[in-house]
Amino acid sequence: MEWSIGEENIRYTAELADKEGKLELSSIKKDGNEIDISDVTISHDSNFNRLLVNIDKNSKLAHVVKIKDSYWIHLDGRVHVVNAHEIGLSSQKQSEGSLIAPMPGTIIEILVKEGQRVRKGQDLMVMEAMKMEHKIQSPKDGEVISISHKIGQRVDMGAILVEIGD
Amino acid sequence: MYPDWMDDASNPFSSVLVANRGEIAVRILNSARELGLKGISIYSDSDANSLHVEISEEAIHLPGKQLSETYLNIDAIINAAKISGAEAIHPGYGFLSERSDFAQAVVDSGLIWIGPSPNSIEIMGDKISARNKMIDSGVPIIPGEEIFVEKNEDYIGPLAAAAARVGYPLLLKASAGGGGKGMRAVYEPKNLKSQYEAASREASTAFGDGTVYVERLLTKARHIEIQILCDEKGNSVHLNERDCSLQRRHQKVIEETPSPALSNEIRKLMGESALKAANSVNYIGAGTVEFLLSSKGQFFFLEMNTRLQVEHPITELITGIDIVQKQFEIAAGFELNLKQQDIGINGHSIEARIYAENPSNGFLPATGILSKWKFPTGPGIRLDSGFREGDEITIDFDPMLAKLIVHASNRETALRKLDTALSDFIILGVVTNLGFLRDIIKQDSFSEGQITTDYLDKAPESLFIPPSADPSHLIAIASAMERMGINGQLSGQSNGEITDYYSGHIGDPFKTLSKIFP
Repeated sequence: MEWSIGEENIRYTAELADKEGKLELSSIKKDGNEIDISDVTISHDSNFNRLLVNIDKNSKLAHVVKIKDSYWIHLDGRVHVVNAHEIGLSSQKQSEGSLIAPMPGTIIEILVKEGQRVRKGQDLMVMEAMKMEHKIQSPKDGEVISISHKIGQRVDMGAILVEIGD
Repeated sequence: MYPDWMDDASNPFSSVLVANRGEIAVRILNSARELGLKGISIYSDSDANSLHVEISEEAIHLPGKQLSETYLNIDAIINAAKISGAEAIHPGYGFLSERSDFAQAVVDSGLIWIGPSPNSIEIMGDKISARNKMIDSGVPIIPGEEIFVEKNEDYIGPLAAAAARVGYPLLLKASAGGGGKGMRAVYEPKNLKSQYEAASREASTAFGDGTVYVERLLTKARHIEIQILCDEKGNSVHLNERDCSLQRRHQKVIEETPSPALSNEIRKLMGESALKAANSVNYIGAGTVEFLLSSKGQFFFLEMNTRLQVEHPITELITGIDIVQKQFEIAAGFELNLKQQDIGINGHSIEARIYAENPSNGFLPATGILSKWKFPTGPGIRLDSGFREGDEITIDFDPMLAKLIVHASNRETALRKLDTALSDFIILGVVTNLGFLRDIIKQDSFSEGQITTDYLDKAPESLFIPPSADPSHLIAIASAMERMGINGQLSGQSNGEITDYYSGHIGDPFKTLSKIFP
């Protein structure tokens, strides 16, 4: 899962480790690069819309509600919206036309043909990386102009996978 | 059955229909219930499940999609009063509250109208006749020439001539207006036509009257208004001022009392002027006289609102007087049992209006479902709202979600209490101005009490951008919720415990007791 905050185009990924029933933040990547993080552990509150969050030994209560693909978070008296993205559904900024591989991997399924019209968010292909499958979704409504690879082919991160025209 | 306190009333009544919706309907219905009056509400299709319907003893459905078929439909509302046996009608604010034809229709139907006479509404509702009354009564009015612009085919010529005589910058105002609707500032002649048309269009939509007039725009002024109460016997008092200088496009955002800008001397003069204004139209009931206070300490009559005001709660908190209760008492014919010298100022009160809007995106109205709605409570904190958790916010009505009102012994404490209450107000699912309100009250201009009505319109862009949080904290929380969310719900369900909706605690204590004592 990739994350973005509010209207920003920056993409984040997070790794959490299970530790005595709590989740501990191990790393955060911002547009693919690891960034400095605080000590964050998170555990469940009895009320399922709340999380107990410990940041650098400060205990806080976060109220969280999931609405569609976004998490609305109330933390420290402010509301933030964090959006979840399937990996590959690239942000508006980088998606004007071509869709690039978000990671190195193998194409295991192609779900559309050239010339086909697709909707925003429609699954286009399935990639496998690190033994996990990731759906590549269309960033916008449009027509599939070209598909650059075949099933079973290995691709590098950043390779153009599909071009979507208007 | 009249409530006991109606015993000596000359016009007793036992039930009241509230011709309104949302928070003000809720607020009035609550007062009615406390006073032993039967509260009756009206509702449109989209309001069938709203809070004001829930808390009323009887609710009458007004079918139709347009406001003109429901909350602006005089015949249907009078009919609803007849069907439900209502003996009195309270109009709230907005909608028909300042329509003299509505007041007249209520009176003609033999019902008690909770408000001033149709004649008072009519004189004060027309800006021109109101100004003329003020001139006659010696109440200062805004300098500059006042020109009445008739809306007809050939309006551009007279409009331009009037504007040139008044001078720029000027203000176009809906003659029937209020609440910032149908009001436009014009700084240059080239914008006159487009702004006039916008103002007129807004006025037609909001008030059913597209007439607009021209007035000199006073800059660097404060908006100070005086709450007044008048009875049928000619007794009248004022309940001090409200400072509503913090506005965005003439829409009030934060109001407070007492005003940080008013000396006792000006307060006294302004209070006397407000009562002169009210008495000039033989006013009866609760009303508000609005003034502009110039940077030099001169004040000018702006308009009189012949109804309950949105921001009335701050006055209630510092005076200890329930204004809606007073409206009921005055309508029942009771004499005001208040003397001016007995009305004090106890501490400081501030109201912040919570809107469903996005301050960082040009204040665009926001919609959605109030998936989480947990409001602050405690001594000195009052919340007036027409919404509950789970309610949907649509674009059909005003985007005001709630009024958060605090009361403390002094301004500094009240501001801190407001900031705490704003940060404890949890609204998820609809974008609000909660964070923006916190940012405003922390501005030096606000804490020093230096706000003028143009403050927000001239504020730097940075004020509208929320301070950013550490992204890693937010991503960690979202990521954790994604992983735990489902498990959390399952564990809650698997042991058969149900989390209490309000307290967040598992189980109802009385349920536990019943297990021990069958």
